[in-house]
Amino acid sequence: MKTFDDRIGRSFDVHSHVLGNGLQVLLVENPAVPAVAINASVLAGARHEPEAKAGLAIMASRLLDEGTETRSSLDIAEAIESAGGHLEADGSFERIVVAATVLKQDLDLGLELAADLLIHPIFPEEYIAKEKTRTLAEIASAKDRPQVIAGWAFNEMIYGTHPLHRPSHGYPETVEQMTRRDLIDFHKKFFVPNNTILSIVGDFKISEILPLVEKRFGSWAARPFELPKVLPPVRQTDRREKYITMPAQQLNIYLGHLGVERANPDFYTLQVLDTILGGGAGFTARIPMRLRDEMGLAYTTFASITMTAGLDPGKFVAYIGTSPDNMKLAIEGLLNEIRRIVAEPVTPDELKDAQDFLTGSFVFAFESSSQIARFLTHAHVYGLGFDFIEKYPRLIRSVTAADIARVAQRYLDSENYCLTVVGPVAEDGTILET
Amino acid sequence: MSLPVDSSTFTGEVRRTVLDNGLTVLTRELHASPIVSAMIWYRVGSRNEEFGQTGKSHFLEHMLFKGTDRFKKGEIDLLTLKNGGGNNAFTSHDFTAYYFNFASDRWDIALDIEADRMVNCIFAPEEFESEKKVVIEELRMGLDNPWGLLLQEVDATAYKVHPYRNPVIGWQQDVERATAEEQQAYYRKHYHPGNATLVLSGDIDTGRVLEKVAQKFSSLPARAPSAPVTAVEPEQRGEKRLVVEWRSKVPRLAIAYHAPEIAHKDTYALQVLNLILTEGKTSRLYQRLVEREQSVTFISADYGESKDPTLFHFRAEARGEHTAEEIEASLYAEMKSIVSDGVTQRELDRAKHQVEAHFVLSRERAQDQAMLFGQIETLYGLDYIDTYLGKISGTTSEDVMSVCSRYFAEKNRTVGYLVSDGSAGPDDDAEDADEGSSEDL
Repeated sequence: MKTFDDRIGRSFDVHSHVLGNGLQVLLVENPAVPAVAINASVLAGARHEPEAKAGLAIMASRLLDEGTETRSSLDIAEAIESAGGHLEADGSFERIVVAATVLKQDLDLGLELAADLLIHPIFPEEYIAKEKTRTLAEIASAKDRPQVIAGWAFNEMIYGTHPLHRPSHGYPETVEQMTRRDLIDFHKKFFVPNNTILSIVGDFKISEILPLVEKRFGSWAARPFELPKVLPPVRQTDRREKYITMPAQQLNIYLGHLGVERANPDFYTLQVLDTILGGGAGFTARIPMRLRDEMGLAYTTFASITMTAGLDPGKFVAYIGTSPDNMKLAIEGLLNEIRRIVAEPVTPDELKDAQDFLTGSFVFAFESSSQIARFLTHAHVYGLGFDFIEKYPRLIRSVTAADIARVAQRYLDSENYCLTVVGPVAEDGTILET
Repeated sequence: MSLPVDSSTFTGEVRRTVLDNGLTVLTRELHASPIVSAMIWYRVGSRNEEFGQTGKSHFLEHMLFKGTDRFKKGEIDLLTLKNGGGNNAFTSHDFTAYYFNFASDRWDIALDIEADRMVNCIFAPEEFESEKKVVIEELRMGLDNPWGLLLQEVDATAYKVHPYRNPVIGWQQDVERATAEEQQAYYRKHYHPGNATLVLSGDIDTGRVLEKVAQKFSSLPARAPSAPVTAVEPEQRGEKRLVVEWRSKVPRLAIAYHAPEIAHKDTYALQVLNLILTEGKTSRLYQRLVEREQSVTFISADYGESKDPTLFHFRAEARGEHTAEEIEASLYAEMKSIVSDGVTQRELDRAKHQVEAHFVLSRERAQDQAMLFGQIETLYGLDYIDTYLGKISGTTSEDVMSVCSRYFAEKNRTVGYLVSDGSAGPDDDAEDADEGSSEDL
């Protein structure tokens, strides 16, 4: 086996600039195609909203493009779509993102619209009412999917009272009660330039774009701002099981427990562990190899602890979708692989292959301008440093089998876990005839 | 309006080479990222399957990862892992395609694998039976998706003769009784150089790549082309309607119109019409159904390039107390207004800009380029792309009115409703629930 060069073979100069109002601007010139990707992220999300207002952040994000002080919803859509561009506003637990992709000649239009959505949204009553009925209908529709039901129930069990126990779009009763005042207050509280990162990547010159950014975002007024603290979730010390009856072809099974934060120093060791246990390429990891390729139990099965790591601890998730008759085999199969990686060291080949995979496939995260823009925001939020691209291979290469054994013992638990099963199964876990 | 970008710009960068054994090779250099995408496309899909044998093309796709003498079971994935790449495959009505993405210093292994598994796959009976379980799990997963179920039934109703009526994954009964011998015979018939297109896109040197391709693939024997698919769908003579009962209380609607195949003269105006009806918030159906009537959570349309005459699908999901009947009536009213009044210049210009921007952005990623060129070569030929933007650009309001009137006609459509089968959802009140049990979410 030849040894590969670990450099991703692509480097880019990140130009970091802070406007007078505190807006963090990150720029990369990428002339590969005559287009530009803009990613404006406000560092607030569903993790900052109170329980009684569950769904507020997502609703606020989805209403950003439904009207500003000078543009109607249709004006905004007309402006971006006539230029063949894309503009979307969406939220998550951690962030609210306005993302735009425009052709090179429409760069200023993209900046102007992104700024307008962030700075001057008016949350029209008419659109609040529409958004509510739409969200309620989407929740009703999502409930038709056993995998969604299983995911929601799994989060409720793992996170207890921490905000991540909720679906990010909230509950029907909290969505119904949302008011315009709530949305305006949320916007006023969190949408400040000194809590926002603007990443722009594409076919432009730094010297030309800075005045444009200043023109569109410079007048946005800063305010003293501190993000509220979110109390960490508490990890369970018992086993919790929940079976939800739903007529379906397959059982959707989630098994796991609380995971780690992105800032955890063991994150990279856990990435290698994930690759060996439940991720990687094709069906090379232990869980898909055993449960899918050898036992034929599933089309989809995987496990990961790093996938959901963020500002808050993510979760360790092992998933399988399987026919009802396979339930016991499938659960036992997932548990066996968890027990094995905790009890026995991984082999030198497994370790080297996982390291080769992670360092070799890293390059795929930087192929398009919108990917690079997302990376810049991500790197800034998690304090990775823009030399992360150079550092990453070393972080992965330095992981040893002993490290993996240590983190497996520390973070994985085959006794005290949550189990959610949704499908043709009774509340006590017995399989129902379909 | 004329578009500043000419489509021949796109195909001008592609080199097309045909080996003596019939293998078509497309190469496209793209040096922005050190990435190579290697794809191989076979002209075989569910379109080629006979009654009682459905799902074979897709099952075969799974078997191509199950081992040859040289690359044992699991080894293709293991090599992909070791080389830090990604691989996968997909099957449609018209084709089966496989891809690898690798960093550009280590991608040649993809050529060894594709050349080998084109002819040397082993169909070990125990592997075949084990993989059959996986395929059936995949099939069942699809049936737990409301759209998977509804569209399967709509397509089976819309066609009575053409094999596009069958789901790509096959009917469960056919998949269950499939044998390794039949599967192997199907493989021998359809997997050979003359029935394949190899696409290499990304950070490559065309000259060197073509030498390597010749080295790996030239020795594969040419084979006679398999018999063409002759089934022709007769004209539909009246509206068809169907109801599918399912566990949901959310009404869902799918409407399918028979529509022309790739490069047919009407296909361009239909694509423009599709954008005007459903692309973005400015689109007619979004404005009408989502904004004004607020009767749907979403409305979408799907009309893709295909070898034979295909279906133009609309899908919508009802919101609140609104009904599928109401949505259906509004959809027809919007089409009627286009037939009588046409579309505006603004709408036409917007659709054309959207097509152009899409083309420009597709040049960013090696795999997007491999997908585009591989699919079009497999279905028709690259000259479709040469003339594409010109034809989209030349589309007039009259063209759009004419195709709207001709294709979106009552007798040309199949309408499917997904309705509640009366069973209980997971959070229904106890008094509504058959089982008498309830769960809090």
